[in-house]
Amino acid sequence: MGMGNPPDRSTYADQTPQTGRAGIMLNGRYLPPPEDKDGKQWVRTSALVMVSAEELYEMWRDVAKAPLWQEEIERVSVTGAKTSHWVMRSGDDGARIEWDSEVLNDEPAKRIAWRSIGGDSDNAGEVIFEESPTGRGTVVTVLQEFRMGKLTSAWETLTGRNPKQAVIENLRHFKALAETGEIPRIHGQPHGPRGVIGDMKRSLYGETVATPEGKERIAS
Amino acid sequence: MKAVCWMGTSNVETLTVEDPKILNPHDAILKVTRTAICGSDLHLYDGFIPTMEAGDILGHEFMGIVEEVGKEVTNLKRGDRVVVPFTIACGNCFFCKKSLWAACDNTNPGAHLMEAAYGYSGSGLFGYSHMMGGYAGGQAQYVRVPFANVGPLKIENDLPDEKVLFLSDIFPTGYMAAENAQIQEGDTVAIWGCGPVGTFAIASAFMLGAARVIAIDRIPERLEMARRFGAITVDYSEKDLDVITALKDITGGIGPDACIDAVGLEAHSTELQGLYDKVKTAVMMETDRPIVLRQAIQCVRKGGTLSIPGVYGGMLDKVNFGAAFGKGITMKMGQTNMHSYMRPLLERVEKGEIDPSSIISHRITLDEAPEMYKIWRDKKDNVTKIVIDPWAETAA
Repeated sequence: MGMGNPPDRSTYADQTPQTGRAGIMLNGRYLPPPEDKDGKQWVRTSALVMVSAEELYEMWRDVAKAPLWQEEIERVSVTGAKTSHWVMRSGDDGARIEWDSEVLNDEPAKRIAWRSIGGDSDNAGEVIFEESPTGRGTVVTVLQEFRMGKLTSAWETLTGRNPKQAVIENLRHFKALAETGEIPRIHGQPHGPRGVIGDMKRSLYGETVATPEGKERIAS
Repeated sequence: MKAVCWMGTSNVETLTVEDPKILNPHDAILKVTRTAICGSDLHLYDGFIPTMEAGDILGHEFMGIVEEVGKEVTNLKRGDRVVVPFTIACGNCFFCKKSLWAACDNTNPGAHLMEAAYGYSGSGLFGYSHMMGGYAGGQAQYVRVPFANVGPLKIENDLPDEKVLFLSDIFPTGYMAAENAQIQEGDTVAIWGCGPVGTFAIASAFMLGAARVIAIDRIPERLEMARRFGAITVDYSEKDLDVITALKDITGGIGPDACIDAVGLEAHSTELQGLYDKVKTAVMMETDRPIVLRQAIQCVRKGGTLSIPGVYGGMLDKVNFGAAFGKGITMKMGQTNMHSYMRPLLERVEKGEIDPSSIISHRITLDEAPEMYKIWRDKKDNVTKIVIDPWAETAA
């Protein structure tokens, strides 16, 4: 089943895509990402990372360290060989949303697929690591799906990002951290008074979302 | 510390703000010893570049002494004297590995803004809007330098700051403009704009083998400076002067082999089209005034090269692409891949091949900066280049 034709089952990630090239190509043809419908939203995004697929897989699979590069994730506890518990900040008032997640498909250095299994979120996703066909590094492709619910609305209203953009930003942070050992940031630098319009712009430009902490260099 | 802050269109103030601190492991903090106002700062001053926020610290040409380094910075230590490139690069991504430093993937925290506007994001820049990263600039007493392990060039000679400061932007930018012009021995190169970048493009064009450089401007002191650097000058504001006719006359009808647009999006014109672009940009039907670009496309010889170091920000109107196609010209442009040029150009300065400080007309304090932005914009007071000593209390 190709991705141009989304599966009927409740989540995407509970089945292995049969497409090559991170689900982007099938038999030499480009496949567009699945369409949003029936309350389900999809996002697919990719990045070229100059780090080996093995190292990138290890970094992604170490879910306890996801707060280092994923926006608004406060804590992830490993609860079993395939399960983990996720806690996400949702606003400045200390509110949290929480859910459990389960790994469905785990192929070292190749792919990880997961889905939520209860809590405040209904999401599923998959990440694929592939050596670039032109030998330039590793192509990392993320396909993630959300059902509108507490998670998406929290993301949207409280962080100022829609969940699709959050997935794109998280992959950008992951790449920066993997390639350089840090995530670029400007929070905490000096500036003059912002005024009302300056504050509005900060929110409009997504700058009220805290940049994840980063650390831990992978590339040498 | 004191810093020059953008507070809105045509409104710059020198304010007291917090000192910068280390935020990432590859950061360094510099005590700024010299900084400058760039021609491209005027695009911010005039409100042409979107995504500025009130309170942003300006300045992308600066140098100083390392005050503190983050724990991953191993090549610099406290007390080192460095010049900092205005483009910030990580050194590890696909683009940095290809020496396309200004296209770095990992240094722009506002990447999503530029991606929305341009399809892809370029590197972060100091003090040049949030689309370009939102980094605080160096027209200040201290500055935070991200990826300090990659960018800063150590100055280990005793040359004064003023002779090496312009390695931070305008000398490499003028040089890359000349390199992008694909100059061959014996070529004639026409350069629009005899400001600092145009002037360094003149000098660089000769370094790369140009036989003749024709410089086009209207400001007497700039034309004088261009002649001092060896160019023939054309004053486009002279009565009855038509630039394309002038260039044809000078080149025996063939046209210049290469043209360099060192003016960019806020070009002026004495012709009717100047008014046309002013009206269109004023009513937001156009974001840039591409007068020089139109002219350069028209003037370059068949099969010639157009190099564009002048900054463009967005949508242009009525650009004769048919002329570009019809003559089969090559266009090369973009932010400077700074990191490739700084060391070789430092060597030229050390050998005495060029004295970049000779373009400086004004030496000021931080407190004088707001007034100088106005003078710089209005081209008053014979201004050719402004350098700031952030620690001086009174002007030199």
